[in-house]
Amino acid sequence: MKAIKNLSWLLIILFIAIYPITLGKVYPYHISLLIIVGIYVILATGLDLLVGVTGQISLGHAGFFAIGAYTSGILSATYHISPPIALGIGLLISGIVAWVTGRSVLALKGYYLAMATLGLNVVIYTLIVGFQWLTGGATGLRDIPSFTMFNLTLKSYSQYYYMVWAFVLLVVGSCLAILKSPLGRTLIAINSDETAASTFGVNCPKYKLHIFVLSSLYASVAGSLLAHYMGFISPDDFSFFTSIRILVMVYLGGAGTIYGPAVGAIFLKLLPELTYRFHDYELLLEGLILIFVLVFVPGGLFRILIAMKNQFRNIRFAHWKR
Amino acid sequence: MRMINFSLLVQFLFSGLTMGSIYALLAVSLVIVYNVSRVICFAQGEFFVFGALMITWLTSLGLSTPIAFLLTILITSIMGAVIERAFIRPVSSSSEGTIIVMTVGISLTLMGVALLAWGREAHALLPFSKGEPLWILGACLPIQVVWIIGATVLVLVVIWFFFNKTLIGIAMRACAENRLAANLVGISVWKMNILAWAWGSGLGALAGMVVAPLLFTQYASGTMPMLKGFIAMSIGGYSVLGTVIGGFVLGVIEAYSIGLVSSQFSDAIVFTVLIAALVTRPQGVFGGLKKAGI
Repeated sequence: MKAIKNLSWLLIILFIAIYPITLGKVYPYHISLLIIVGIYVILATGLDLLVGVTGQISLGHAGFFAIGAYTSGILSATYHISPPIALGIGLLISGIVAWVTGRSVLALKGYYLAMATLGLNVVIYTLIVGFQWLTGGATGLRDIPSFTMFNLTLKSYSQYYYMVWAFVLLVVGSCLAILKSPLGRTLIAINSDETAASTFGVNCPKYKLHIFVLSSLYASVAGSLLAHYMGFISPDDFSFFTSIRILVMVYLGGAGTIYGPAVGAIFLKLLPELTYRFHDYELLLEGLILIFVLVFVPGGLFRILIAMKNQFRNIRFAHWKR
Repeated sequence: MRMINFSLLVQFLFSGLTMGSIYALLAVSLVIVYNVSRVICFAQGEFFVFGALMITWLTSLGLSTPIAFLLTILITSIMGAVIERAFIRPVSSSSEGTIIVMTVGISLTLMGVALLAWGREAHALLPFSKGEPLWILGACLPIQVVWIIGATVLVLVVIWFFFNKTLIGIAMRACAENRLAANLVGISVWKMNILAWAWGSGLGALAGMVVAPLLFTQYASGTMPMLKGFIAMSIGGYSVLGTVIGGFVLGVIEAYSIGLVSSQFSDAIVFTVLIAALVTRPQGVFGGLKKAGI
């Protein structure tokens, strides 16, 4: 069992590593697509820690995505600060905003929390549009330099691809580590019954706040990566629709599994590549797929993958027995 | 700084009341759905859009406005009922997150349908009746606004009558109060859910219809009104009367912050009010009304 798991991890990492020098050479466009996919995998797995594992619904994840992107963008484009430092400052600001808002907002539960975080997202969005002298307003922020580290500028797509996916592995790995640790079990306890958890001495507000801050930090990293990659960001990338979209990724893939939201993010970001040729039917198709998965596969897409894997293993064992 | 005179302030009040009644209607539709079926519906904005676009389409086919009006309410109510039965019930025992994502799926689907049916262009309806705008205290009041506020008041009276005087309405309130107990005394909670969704979608469509002559509606323009409906519902404390007050207060705050502060930051102001209201009074600013049973 453990061997199989390690093997599939190895295969995934191997695939990510050799993609740009094999298939990526044939379809260069797909590399740029996979960079965006990677950024959304970071967002979705980070949100899953808060929503799926801890059970605190947030509809404001794109707000922290925006803070990361705009801090990085403004500092490096307007004030010529080097991108890694800008990314760090973005983390700091996101963390502070999450800490301050989380302290009051996380006392709310269920739909109330969803509404409050949604409000937070709209406020951040409106401020970005409003402070035109700083953020470029609705037309967006231009000329963000690409990522430079130790005098090394990441110029080509494949270099940037490796950096983004290194971050992805880091984020997914750390989320999984948290999930398996005592902290993860505490979070799951908070998710299943907050009263019971606090009866057993769990300081629920503290853990919820820590996870809220942590998931906002992940979102901030994703934002910085996006800003330096695209070189241009506009407020519409960070509206409340983006938050909804990230939440959809989490539930489409399978909330609380970390792998699931990653699968959801990959699926939802690659789906338009298939449906764009249907033009006006795109929205309808996307909605129907979402409804279909939720009604017929309650565990999400990850459940389907697990089922397929089990099927595969059964076949193999049957073969051995014979 | 622009001169602020008295008639301008009255004008802001009128536009606040106009948008306020739209928010109130939408928020009431959300509250009825939420109280009975415990679902916050992110597809409510689409019913708003369907209302506006469908009545525009039906009148362009040559139907008279009252008939188109009633037909639209009928169609959207049936849509709401079917959606509840087909899509919400299968996930009704899942977590809140799953249900939210389900209503998002429904919202995307309805948006897709509206896009296919009415295209990407924005549509506007002719006003319900012709006539010169009224001038009150130096401020202009279009006739359609009288229609909007009148319709809001009328609908609220109908809602009050339905939920207080009819057996089905009282049964629905029982479900909102305690689903298990309602089930035990023989009320079918499932049927009440369907009914609540029919009410909710019909009311959402009604809000879209009465405002259709004032706004240019397009397949994706339901989101902002829906978000405002959420705010009104949250500050109203999930009771019908509180929500109505919340809707009007929101509309007026918004109108004055657009007029006096800045149109760019009005949403930031409005949503900060939401967060402050939620955090300081989670039961709603007017939440006390719910205990009074209104």
